[in-house]
Amino acid sequence: MAKKFMKGNDSIIVGALSAGCRAYYGYPITPASEIAHAAALHFPALGGTFIQAESEVAAINMCYGTAGMGIRVMTASSSPGVSLKQEGLSYAAGAELPLVIVNINRGGPGLGNIAPEQSDYFQATKGGGHGSYRLIVLAPNSAQEMCDLTMLAFDLADRYRNPAMVLADGFIGQMMEAVDVPQAKPVPYDHSSWCVRGDEATRRNVVSSIVLDPHHLEAHNLKLRDKYAACARDEVRCEEYRTEDADLIVVAYGIVSRIVYSTVDEARERGLKVGLLRPITLWPFPSARLAELAVGRAKAFLSVELNTGQMVEDVRLAVFGKRPVHFYGRCGGVVPGGDEIVAEYARLLKGGGHESH
Amino acid sequence: MAVTLQQLTKHDDLLAGGHRACAGCTGANILRQVLLTAGRDTVLGCATGCMEVITTIYPYTAWRIPFIHSAFENSAATVSGAETAFRALKKRGELPVARERINFIAMGGDGGTYDIGLQSLSGAMERGHNMVYICYDNEAYMNTGIQRSSATPFGAHTSTAPAGKVRQGKEQHRKDLTRIMVAHNIPYAAQTTPFHWRDLAAKVQKALDTPGPAFINVLMPCTVGWHFEMALGMEMARIAVETNFWPLFEVENGQYKLNHKPKQRTPIVEWLKAQGRFKHLFKPGNEAIIEELQRRVDADWEKLLREAGEPAATPA
Repeated sequence: MAKKFMKGNDSIIVGALSAGCRAYYGYPITPASEIAHAAALHFPALGGTFIQAESEVAAINMCYGTAGMGIRVMTASSSPGVSLKQEGLSYAAGAELPLVIVNINRGGPGLGNIAPEQSDYFQATKGGGHGSYRLIVLAPNSAQEMCDLTMLAFDLADRYRNPAMVLADGFIGQMMEAVDVPQAKPVPYDHSSWCVRGDEATRRNVVSSIVLDPHHLEAHNLKLRDKYAACARDEVRCEEYRTEDADLIVVAYGIVSRIVYSTVDEARERGLKVGLLRPITLWPFPSARLAELAVGRAKAFLSVELNTGQMVEDVRLAVFGKRPVHFYGRCGGVVPGGDEIVAEYARLLKGGGHESH
Repeated sequence: MAVTLQQLTKHDDLLAGGHRACAGCTGANILRQVLLTAGRDTVLGCATGCMEVITTIYPYTAWRIPFIHSAFENSAATVSGAETAFRALKKRGELPVARERINFIAMGGDGGTYDIGLQSLSGAMERGHNMVYICYDNEAYMNTGIQRSSATPFGAHTSTAPAGKVRQGKEQHRKDLTRIMVAHNIPYAAQTTPFHWRDLAAKVQKALDTPGPAFINVLMPCTVGWHFEMALGMEMARIAVETNFWPLFEVENGQYKLNHKPKQRTPIVEWLKAQGRFKHLFKPGNEAIIEELQRRVDADWEKLLREAGEPAATPA
C-alpha cells in the first residue's frame, strides 16, 4: 500500500477512482468544491468524465441518467446543495438506481455557514426526499475512511440498487491525514437485467418510478421495504472503544467521534468509566447493538453531535427507555473541545444530569 | 437622460464601507453605482454569491436599503414575491407609507443567473414583474473557488475546467444571456460595465423607469479569478469593451442600440494577455484557441452591428 498525505475531500476521489467510478457530475459549493476540483483534474486524465452541471438538480439527474446506464457514478455537494438534490435521490431510490452522493455537511439551516455541522443527519437518514425510501448512509471519521467508505458506498449502492451517501462534514473534508491508497480491484456488477444501454441485452428494460396502480405501487413499496430490511440486517457497521465495562456509553460519529475517542482514556484516569460506540453506518443504524448495551452494565447513554439533537432520537429509540439517554451538542460550526465533553461526563456520572439537556 | 458625475455625487451613498470585497474588486463599484441611481426607495434581493457574502455577513450589513437574501437559484423568484406583495398592498391601499413607486431590484452573479437561477429569472421576466434584474458577471463561480460557469469565456482556466496536459481550459463558448433575455420580449435589456459609469447609471435609470421587467448584464472584472493586477479592474472592463468582447448595447422593445463603437478594432489578445486565466493560451500549440476566440468576437460584433442598424465593420 502506498501512503499519501491528503485532504479528506481529495481522499473521496481516490476512493471513487479505486472503486472504478469514472463519471462525476458536480456543482460548486463550499466546503465540498475541492472534490469537484479533484474530479476535474483526475477523471478526464484517467479516461473518465467530469461535467460541471448548471445546477445541483442537473447534477443529481445526470447521475440518474448515468446510473440508468448501469455505470458507476457519483456527485458531491454540501448541505444546501444536497437539499436541492432530494428529488433526484427519491427518484433514484424509486427506480432502484445505484449512485453515490457525498455530503460535506456545513452549518445550517438556510445558507448558514461553511463550518462543520452534523445537522443533516435527519435529512440523510430519515428520507430527505418524498416517499418510503432509505439512503444507505456512511459516516467517515478520517481521511482514510473518506476513501474506504466511498469505495464501500459504491459497492453497497450496486448490491442494493439504491443511492448511498457518504455523510462527512467540513472538518473531515479539510483535514489532512495519511491515507493508504487502496490497490484492490473493484468488484464488477452485472446490471444488464435492468439498465438501459441501447444494446440488445437491455432493449426491453425500463428505468422508471411511476407505478400508477395503487396495488402495484404498494407491491413496489413492499419490495423496497424487504430490500431495506435485508440491508438493515446485513450492513450495520459500528466501532466500539471500552464499552465492555463503561458506566456511560457515548454515541458519536464523524469528526465528533474522534474527539470523544480521545476523551475516553482521559475520563477513565479521572475515574469516569466511559466508552464509545461509533456508528459507521448511520442508516442502517446500530440499534440492535445499542439495545444490547442498554440491558448491560451501562447506566446511561450520551449522544454527542454537532447539531441541536438529531441522532439522539435514534439512540433513544434503540435504548427504548431502559436507560437515560442524554444529549450534548454544539452547532453553528463550533466544535467542542475534549475538556467540555469530559466535564459533561463528570456532570452526568457524578451529578446525575437531566435527560432534557 | 445624460448623467453627470456632479449629479451622482449629490446622491446618497447607500453601500456602507467596511464590506468584505477583495482588494481590487469591481463588484462593490457596481453595487455603489446601481444604488446611487436607484436611491433609498428600493428593495433589493440578491442570491448567494460574492456580492451577498461581502455585504451581509451576520451581524453586519453594508446595505443602507432593505435587503433580502435568497437561495442561490431564487433571486428573481424572491423579488417577484416582494414586488407582487407590494402591488397587492398598493391596490388595497394598505401600504404603511404611501409610496408611488418602490424600485425592485434582483441581483445575482453569473453562476446564480446564467446557470442555476436561469429558470427563476426566465419565469420572472415572462410574468412581467415590475423589476430590474442585474447580473454581475465575473465569468465564473468566484465565491466558491473559481469554477467555470456558462459565462466563462472559451479557453479560460478555472478549477473545474483546468488547463493542463489533457485540456486547455474551458472547451465551450459563453452563453449569450443578454440575448436570451431579449428573446423574452421584455421592454428593456442592456449590457454595461462599471468602467462606463455614465452608461451604467443611465441604463439603471432607464430600466427602473421602464414599466415591467428589465435586465442589465454588468461585466465585473475579478482580480482573483481572472488573475490580473489588482489595480487593473476598471482597465479590464474598458478593454473588454474596446475589443468588442463585451459591447455596450441596449435593447428597448426589441430595438437594438449600440452605445459605444470603438474607434478601431483592438485584438482580443490585448484583453487576454493581462489575465492569468488565459496564460496557457500563449504557449506554442494553442494559437488556434485565441484565433477561435477572435473569430467568435468578430462574428458576434458583426451580428450586433446588423441588429443595431450600423454599417458592417468589414465589407461583405
